[in-house]
Amino acid sequence: MASDPTSLPSPSDLSIPNPSPTEEERLATLNLEEPTGNHAPIPRPLSNGSSLSADFDTGNEIEVAEEELLGDSTDLAEGSSSHGGGGWREISEQDGEVASCSPSSSGYAGERGSSGASSGIEEVDDGVALQDDWVPGKRHLDEDDASVSWRKRKKHFFILSHSGKPIYSRYGDEHKLAGFSATLQAIISFVENGGDRVKFVRAGKHQVVFLVKGPIYLVCISCTEEPYEALKGQLELIYGQMLLILTKSVNRCFEKNPKFDMSPLLGGTDVVFSSLIRAFSWNPATFLHAYTCLPLAYSTRQAAGAILQDVADSGVLFAILMCKHKVVSLVGAQKASLHPDDMLLLANFILSSESFRTSESFSPICLPKYNPMAFLYAYVHYLDEDTHLTLLTTSSDAFYHLKECRLRIEAVLVKSNVLAEVQRSMLDGGLHVEDLPVDSSRRSRSISPQMTQENNISGSRPPHMALGGPAGLWHFIYRSIYLDQYVSSEFSSPINNSAQQKRLYRAYQKLFASMHDQGTGPHKTQYRRDRDYVLLCWITQDFELYAAFDPLADKVSAIKTCNRVCQWVRDLENEIFLLGASPFSW
Amino acid sequence: MGCSASLPARNSGQLGALNSEGSAVSDSKNLRVKLVLLGDSGVGKSCIVLRFVRGQFDPTSKVTVGASFLSQTIALQDSTTVKFEIWDTAGQERYAALAPLYYRGAAVAVVVYDITSPESFSKAQYWVKELQKHGSPDIVLALVGNKADLHENRSVSSQDAIDYAEKNGMFFIETSAKTADNINQLFEEIAKRLPRPTSAS
Ligand SMILES: Nc1nc2c(ncn2[C@@H]2O[C@H](COP(=O)(O)OP(=O)(O)OP(=O)(O)O)[C@@H](O)[C@H]2O)c(=O)[nH]1
Ligand SMILES: [Mg+2]
Repeated sequence: MASDPTSLPSPSDLSIPNPSPTEEERLATLNLEEPTGNHAPIPRPLSNGSSLSADFDTGNEIEVAEEELLGDSTDLAEGSSSHGGGGWREISEQDGEVASCSPSSSGYAGERGSSGASSGIEEVDDGVALQDDWVPGKRHLDEDDASVSWRKRKKHFFILSHSGKPIYSRYGDEHKLAGFSATLQAIISFVENGGDRVKFVRAGKHQVVFLVKGPIYLVCISCTEEPYEALKGQLELIYGQMLLILTKSVNRCFEKNPKFDMSPLLGGTDVVFSSLIRAFSWNPATFLHAYTCLPLAYSTRQAAGAILQDVADSGVLFAILMCKHKVVSLVGAQKASLHPDDMLLLANFILSSESFRTSESFSPICLPKYNPMAFLYAYVHYLDEDTHLTLLTTSSDAFYHLKECRLRIEAVLVKSNVLAEVQRSMLDGGLHVEDLPVDSSRRSRSISPQMTQENNISGSRPPHMALGGPAGLWHFIYRSIYLDQYVSSEFSSPINNSAQQKRLYRAYQKLFASMHDQGTGPHKTQYRRDRDYVLLCWITQDFELYAAFDPLADKVSAIKTCNRVCQWVRDLENEIFLLGASPFSW
Repeated sequence: MGCSASLPARNSGQLGALNSEGSAVSDSKNLRVKLVLLGDSGVGKSCIVLRFVRGQFDPTSKVTVGASFLSQTIALQDSTTVKFEIWDTAGQERYAALAPLYYRGAAVAVVVYDITSPESFSKAQYWVKELQKHGSPDIVLALVGNKADLHENRSVSSQDAIDYAEKNGMFFIETSAKTADNINQLFEEIAKRLPRPTSAS
């Protein structure tokens, strides 16, 4: 049998801080002050009510919050922007991180397919030569988007076995790569000689990041200037995706035969990996380790959750209803909990495998954070073009039961209009920075459908007039630490094409890495201005806020705007987050 | 099969069988039949099923994950109906160990190869052997050479396939999911060969 799920360490044994008594007290008090709005009285793990002040000092957040308690409704000590130590960690960057790598300088296989291009990865410090024929004879088969094809070569991913057998390569057919094996061999001896310490090598513009997972090596070669931690996180996800398909028991094959050729076992999964790699530049879940929900009226999500709970009680381990990569609702049996990374990998697997769209399917999959050794069985069915239901069980012969569960779920969702609401939400989109309420009187504005019709400013605005939200706010991401969920605003002008979105995510990623950099300790706030943006990051016990502003934005009003974003998100939490009854609640 | 054979099976222990309520038979006029398709990846199993069930052919490749479930009912001349509950399995090697889950209890197994690929014909023979060993004793076996429209690239001769099918007591047909050639015939012929419930009507 698949191992007993309840005996496993709970994957969400994440370091969620237990609020101290004083903290709880503070929360309780603050809740009294919250706008009453139309919210149902439910547990509100988000509301800490603290605010961000321009002279915010690490450690004094309670004081700041108390200021607010004492009646400071403006949330901000205006004009007191202190540049002294302990305030905002201010970073000015003259040179942009992007465009540091032109196509002609990105060594591997020149733009026009010439594999004889020089440079690229030239020589690593300790003398291990990494040749430039990494990826000769590109197939161009898995190109994301022909118009930006040059950019792709900026980042390579490889999976290989410790005996040097290629398992996966982002570009080119791993079997036909002449000279590839030799290079892999060089990498391996390099990693092995370096022991655990070798994780990262810089060669000119290129970074080479290694991740060793038992007999399996993962390598990223990139000139994207992404931080080491970000690239390592991406390799971890690629490894997780591989486990999702094969489980960790594949290691046993290497015990029996060190020269085992694993690549046939991943046959047909190129699309899964390339879709994940693409997600690294558009899906913040890949670095936030959180998932995001489709905005829905509280009652709609409740209706979906209730029927999912019903089937979970009938022996389904997890029931997950998603629209594209956004969660509509999800439920886990008893104590079972689902890690956001597993959700990301599962959703990526389902969304990238076209065959799921054609009919109902039943397939073994492994959730690496849940249990890397065992397969679960997934019943997958698309209820409409975008909405897919996944029911997971430990039992290999549960198909007909799951099929029946799906029919029940589908009937309820149709009857209670959930599917129609989901479609409508898809069309409406999520939060638009232009809609950020200007003052507290509009704070409790709802995004539920009825309200949207009255209030949908963005709908009536001529597209070219929209230049972001107040104070030059272009975009934000709010991540709730308790909920393992994030919400990000829709992209709007001037971040209106995928290249700019990618650039912004890279900037966020960098910010995230520096905020979570263990060497420097977790920073509470960071203010960073460069050629492209003003970036603000604010981390508390409860949430993380990442916001991007016009590079000319005024610091004080930017900070004030961040406070308003947080208030806005709290006001809308019933609709943008999955609250209560989730497998994450304690 | 290398190690793949040990993958899902070992983790899940004893594989059950995916049977709703018995493998066949509802009553003598309305049969319900569990049918499984097996064969190498890319031979066209899913295309055959989608052609049969939905009358469509989509040339873009959609590698099956695990297995897909579809059903289709046909009416025969003698006014009986046969409802096929079809398991379209994934041909990818990593799922090979999972096949028993789908073929156990099946009344019909359709083993598919691609007439342009000798390897896929060898793989078909592997599946036939496995079914003879582990399938239901009275299972109806069909051997299908698909992609008959690509006859100019043929590399498995019809005669070889006919001989092999005869030797193994199988029904043989060449089909094209692309042109729809012989697709309905395949399922009609299968329906005719099904053991009927003995109760006279
Ligand atoms: N010319 C031609 N091509 C076909 C025919 N049937 C399928 N194909 C092509 O073969 C490819 C694979 O077909 P699938 O039906 O996905 O193959 P499969 O056997 O289901 O493969 P797995 O799901 O991986 O086991 C597709 O790209 C089809 O376009 C056919 O009758 N003629
Ligand atoms: Mg298929």
